[in-house]
Order: sequence, then structure tokens, then C-alpha cells
Amino acid sequence: MNHQPFESWLLDDKYLSATEKRELDSHLRDCRTCSALAETGLALRSAKVISPAAGFTMRFQQRLAAQKVAERRRRLWGLIVLIVSGVGLFSWFAAPFIYAFISAPIEWLTAATGYFLFMFTSLQAFSEILRVLSRMAPGFVSPYALMVMLSTFAGLGLIWVVSIWRFSHKPQGVTA
Amino acid sequence: MNEEQTWVSQAQQGDDEAFTRLVETYQTPVFNLCYRMLGEPELAEDAAQETFLRAYQHMHRYDEKRPFATWLLSIAAHYCIDKLRRRKFSMFSMDAEDDEGNTFELPDPDSPNPEGESIKGQTRDRVHSMLKDLDETDRAAIIMRYWYDYSEKEIADSLRLTVSAVKSRLHRARKELAGLWQEEEDDLLAEMERRHHESPAF
Repeated sequence: MNHQPFESWLLDDKYLSATEKRELDSHLRDCRTCSALAETGLALRSAKVISPAAGFTMRFQQRLAAQKVAERRRRLWGLIVLIVSGVGLFSWFAAPFIYAFISAPIEWLTAATGYFLFMFTSLQAFSEILRVLSRMAPGFVSPYALMVMLSTFAGLGLIWVVSIWRFSHKPQGVTA
Repeated sequence: MNEEQTWVSQAQQGDDEAFTRLVETYQTPVFNLCYRMLGEPELAEDAAQETFLRAYQHMHRYDEKRPFATWLLSIAAHYCIDKLRRRKFSMFSMDAEDDEGNTFELPDPDSPNPEGESIKGQTRDRVHSMLKDLDETDRAAIIMRYWYDYSEKEIADSLRLTVSAVKSRLHRARKELAGLWQEEEDDLLAEMERRHHESPAF
């Protein structure tokens, strides 16, 4: 028999019959390549499992605790940087307005009052329109269509709430 | 649900004590894989610790359909492969030297008769030192196959390879190891012959 099947037996760690074993032994006496393959196979199989030095778990707990402290510290610094930069950015944008308000408060107070009055009257008008529409709608829209519309709004609301819940509870970018 | 699955499930819910039990259970297989991959006990300790830290941080990613040991060893193997790749162009010695150049030996707690074990030990050391010549992924495949009895499918899952790729990597690595083994035998024979010729009795 030529060299190839023996090499494949050794590489595949094939389970050999008694006859095959005898054939392999005879081949190993003549073939240095297969002999080296067989010897390395034996050496690999007899290699020991090495254990870590005693106290591995304790060292892990210490490392984990240190990691958690570092993580907390990183988060705190991140929050501080975020707040400071947010306040800084707001101040940068608001500075001209604050300066203008301080230099001419009456003008600003008049403008603000006008703005709030406008908002208030707009809201009043809008609610009046809605009231009129709700009185007129049953004449134009069938109760069935009204029910469909209400159900659609309720469904969309539910999808929105579920989406918010999923985004806030399930970690993103994670594969099993 | 067995004990391990209970610990895994508790650890996934943030129970540190349950995770500690998992560390106790798997410290040896993880350390051994790291040691065989990196070659030095200090590096192996660091890599094993890092493996457990990564596992702790990513417990939510663990798929319970997969054996926990396979998942853990997969993290360890990938960490070691990355570490070896980063160090590829820097000097790497398997001679177990510390920063000051002092050598150290690994304790062998299971060896009651060190002299009697010396031949076996030499063979083991030869395999251990020859592993460093293998490609990182081939090395991981060989370790999983011969130290953990992993099937080709399990190795493929752990190293994110195809089964045929694992098979060819295992064959290539075995041939490479056999070649190195043969070279060492030749060197040894030549050395013995040289000493024989140089001896005064000759």
C-alpha cells in the first residue's frame, strides 16, 4: 500500500481495525513522515491541562471590582462633560438674548406677553374648531368610518408605545 | 435545568455570585487554552482574566442553545488570536522570561516523581514550544481538538470557520508539527553523533 492512506488515517485520527493497525505499524517502520505524524499525535494527546495559580477566582473578583469602579468613574466624567458642554452651548446661544433682555427688559416683557397671548388665543380658536367639527362630523362621517379612524389612531399609539419600550429595554447591536 | 444552566441564567440576571461559580468551574480550561495559545503563564493569566471579564460584560449575548464552555473558549481563543496578531511583528519568546529576563518554571502539581516524568515532560515541552510556530487560528484549532476533544463542527462554530476550513487547517497544522518534530529529531541525532565523535574515547 502507498503512503497516502496512512497519512490520511493519522491526520483524521481514524479508528483502526486490528488489520489496519498492523499495516500502519509496518508502514511507520519505513516512513519517517508518518512516524513523525504518529509521534506528534501521541504527544498532543498526552499533553496535560495546565491549571492557573491558586486564587484565580479571587483575582478575578478584584479585577471585576476595579473594572466596575473605573466604569462608574468613566460614566460620571461623561455626565459631567455632557452637562458642562450643554450648559456652555446653551450659554453661548442664549448670551445675546440675555444681554439684550438685561439692557432693555421692557421690550422683552412686552414681546413675551404678546407671544403668550397669541399662543393662548390660537389654542382657544383651535379647540373651538375641534368642538364645531365634532358636532358636525357625525353628519358627514358614518359611525363605521369613525370607528375605523379611532382604531387606527389607537393602533398607531400602541405601536409607538411598544417601540419606545423595546428601544429602552432591549440592548441594541447585540447578536446571540 | 442543571446546575450550570441555573448559574448561567442567574448570571445573566446580574447575579455576581453565580458568575463566580462559573469562573471557578471553567478557570482551568480557559487558562489552559490561553497558556497553550500564548505560551507564557503570565500572559495566560491575563488573557484568562480578560476572557471572564468579557464574558461577564456580554452575558446577555450568550445563546443558551450553545454549550457555555464552547462560548467561553471561543471568547478566549479570539482574544488570544487578536493578541498574537497584534504582537506578530514584535519580538515574541516562548522561553518564559519576565521583564528583567529571569526565567521561571511552571509548577507541576500532579507530578509526584519529577525525574520519572522528565521524558514525558520533555515531549510535552516540545509540543508546547512547537505550537508557537503555527498560525494563530491553526494553533487554536489544534488546541481545541487535542486538549478539549472538540469535533470539527464545534471548532468551526467557535472560530467562525467552515467545517472544511477547520479540517484543512487541522491537517496543515498536524503536518507542520510533524515536520518540526522530524527536524528536531534530526538535529538531536546530529548532535549526538557530533558528541560521540568528539568524545576522548573515540
